Amino acid sequence: MLNRRHFLKQSTLLALAPTVPSFLAQTANSAESRADDRVLVVIQLDGGNDGVNTVVPYSDQGYEKNRSELRLANDRLIKLNDDIALHPSLEDMHKLWESDRLAIVNGVGYPNPNRSHDVSMAIWQTCSFDRTEHNGYGWLGRALDSSSAPKTSSPSAVLVGDGKPPVALRSRRSIAANVDRIDELLLPGDVRRTEQHAAAAATEDLSAFVERSTLDAYNTADQLSKLGKPDQAATRSPRSELERRLQLVSQLIKADFQTRVFYTVQSGYDTHSVQLPRHERLLRDLSRSLFAFFEDLRAAKLDERVVVLCFSEFGRRVKENASIGTDHGTAGPVLLAGPSVAPGLHGEMPSLLDLENDDLKHTVDFRQVYASVLQQWLGLTDERIRSGGHQPLDLLRRA
Amino acid sequence: MLKRYQPTDQQPWDVHRVVHLHRRAGFAATWNEIQRDLKDGPDAAVSRLVQGRQPDEADASEPETFESMADVIGSAAVSSENINRLKAWWLYRMLFSPDPLEERLTLMWHNHFATSNIKVEDVAVMRRQNDIFRKYCRAPFGELLRRVVKDPAVLVWLDADANRKEHPNENLARELMELFSLGVGNYSEQDVKQVARALTGWTSKNGRFRYVPEYHDDGEKTIFGKTDHFDGDDVLTLMLEHPACARRLAWRICDTFFGEDVIDDASIDALADGLRQRHLDVGWGVETVLRSQIFFDDTNLGNRVLGPEEFLIGAVRVLEAFDPPPSTLLLAEWSAQLGRDLFYPPNVFGWPGGRNWITTRSVIGRANFADALLDGLLHQPQKTLPIQEVVSKRLGTASESDIVKFFCTHFPNCDPKRLQTELSGKNAAQIAKSMLVLPQAQLA
Repeated sequence: MLNRRHFLKQSTLLALAPTVPSFLAQTANSAESRADDRVLVVIQLDGGNDGVNTVVPYSDQGYEKNRSELRLANDRLIKLNDDIALHPSLEDMHKLWESDRLAIVNGVGYPNPNRSHDVSMAIWQTCSFDRTEHNGYGWLGRALDSSSAPKTSSPSAVLVGDGKPPVALRSRRSIAANVDRIDELLLPGDVRRTEQHAAAAATEDLSAFVERSTLDAYNTADQLSKLGKPDQAATRSPRSELERRLQLVSQLIKADFQTRVFYTVQSGYDTHSVQLPRHERLLRDLSRSLFAFFEDLRAAKLDERVVVLCFSEFGRRVKENASIGTDHGTAGPVLLAGPSVAPGLHGEMPSLLDLENDDLKHTVDFRQVYASVLQQWLGLTDERIRSGGHQPLDLLRRA
Repeated sequence: MLKRYQPTDQQPWDVHRVVHLHRRAGFAATWNEIQRDLKDGPDAAVSRLVQGRQPDEADASEPETFESMADVIGSAAVSSENINRLKAWWLYRMLFSPDPLEERLTLMWHNHFATSNIKVEDVAVMRRQNDIFRKYCRAPFGELLRRVVKDPAVLVWLDADANRKEHPNENLARELMELFSLGVGNYSEQDVKQVARALTGWTSKNGRFRYVPEYHDDGEKTIFGKTDHFDGDDVLTLMLEHPACARRLAWRICDTFFGEDVIDDASIDALADGLRQRHLDVGWGVETVLRSQIFFDDTNLGNRVLGPEEFLIGAVRVLEAFDPPPSTLLLAEWSAQLGRDLFYPPNVFGWPGGRNWITTRSVIGRANFADALLDGLLHQPQKTLPIQEVVSKRLGTASESDIVKFFCTHFPNCDPKRLQTELSGKNAAQIAKSMLVLPQAQLA
């Protein structure tokens, strides 16, 4: 009942038709989903996630050989099949798996891997190996530039969190913004709208446009404030910063913010020492937040419009180090979640015995994952990925 | 050429036109400035703006005092290496400069040569670029273009260092032509490649321009049909001599000072011709526009969305909240929330402006700003704004209806009769908050 189309259908807004923004009125009249309704949420696992202990190739003899202190006990693993298991703290993630809402792409990386956080992150975000382009335009920014979607009153990409939008969202033309707190989108008590004149002409002249947009924004704020009330089951108090940010994303989607891409960061994965407790906490947080996010969206019947992509700049060294941690490595799993993903395992799990410079050999190029998400989900193209000939995988359900 | 404005019975020199002039060429007139310009007439009012002397004992400082104070703030911002303090410095200038048109033009050039600190990452370099914009804001365009392009901010932003003889990078060449000088459609892809070659060797080191002969491709290039061993300076000359450059400048000036659908192509062409005959003298172009009939025409009144700084600084100036002023650091944060994070344009095209200033986030942001400003949350220490005192000083009395009248003078698009009814029973702060966020008050 909380998405804008639905809200509009029941509300008195249509009675005010002359002052309703035209694109709003259009959505109110046509309730079916359009391709540009689809939302991608990217979660950047910052610091280099230990993929080997996230999606565990427990039957690979290399696991026991390379990991002694950091080996996860076989009986605690959440087994997906005879070879592959999830980290024990990923219980909620497993619920997504069980309900066909999780796709795991194994062995994702790129040729000649770089083990610097900054450089590898820039490679993932820009799809460029040329250092001079690492402060340029990003894969999502370029793809959004290719979109011919009509202009809306929302930025096409939003960083949820502090600071500037990451390079992945930068582009020559489209606009990325950041939102960190819902308060930025709620109205103060003293400022009440004055009466709108329903008699205002239905033309799109500038003053009608500003009146309509103001009305629209105030309605969004009203909706968000309704959504934000604690007595609504939708917002339980968040257990972590990541969960809070995903709740914010969910509220913006419910209020029908016309943003295609949300981007957020979960930091802390650079586990060089005493890895186990920290890694467990991070994965539990990720898993819980993600599950809560989709439950929340499902209750609003909006989950089918949303896909989450989790990636990290690299995996970690297969062999543990002397500080009960792991050093920078290469390939790792990319996770895609949501009822619209093609569930299951994708890509080949790299061998833990057949290594290159002590690191995993990637089996899937990250640009193949991007190509799939762009083409099969957002209906967009990044010319750089396309011209590189990176073949998409089938990572989304066919409509 | 653009016809000069002469007041007539149909289009008189009235409050609406005075307010209009200061909203477009500055950051809103105070009550006293409105009364003064109403009395002095359009010629004197425009002259004060174009000559950059806007002294008013009540709120604008003497130019010398202002400049030395601004310089202290700017230098402190640079040595702190904190870009937020540089944003605050610029907002201080917008709020207090005796030459508000200079700040408007600086903003215009920041949008034209949209360079972001997201990549430059150097407060001193960003300030220097901003000072170039300001110092040459009215100069013949060549003086500005040459300095801006041969400056580290643009060179870092557009990857000049990656542009080498062996592997040219087209970024600077393309934006130089498409955005800085000619506009799309006035050059070929071949020209882009050749201009990139000519620009090889231009780079920066330690925050200074540097020419590296070993990077430079000294071979022959063919640009716009001319063939020679062109270098970067030659290329800038070719741009400045290209007829499209005057046209683009004329468009930029009109884009800055006119509202929606006011100026036609023929008028832009006429302005472009005038610029071409005057070595692209921007000051002449701006003055011509500000004195024109079409600038003061009914069709150009109240048909432009206030940008974030026009809204924010405008509110502070209308409310005469000068002593003490609100925190300019906080004003800078609000400016970002309303859609313009100074020194961080969203991309090479700059901020699209116009209707794009009105978004869900910015509409709600404007309401929250009005709330915070009136409640004194932007002042340090916090201080509720004495609206009644201000109104009573200007109107003699400060009843509910005087307060509405005060604001309707500053926002002439609003309908005082309707508002007297709708806002009756509210206190001074509530009236002020409601007025600042009225849809009609977002236009000027």
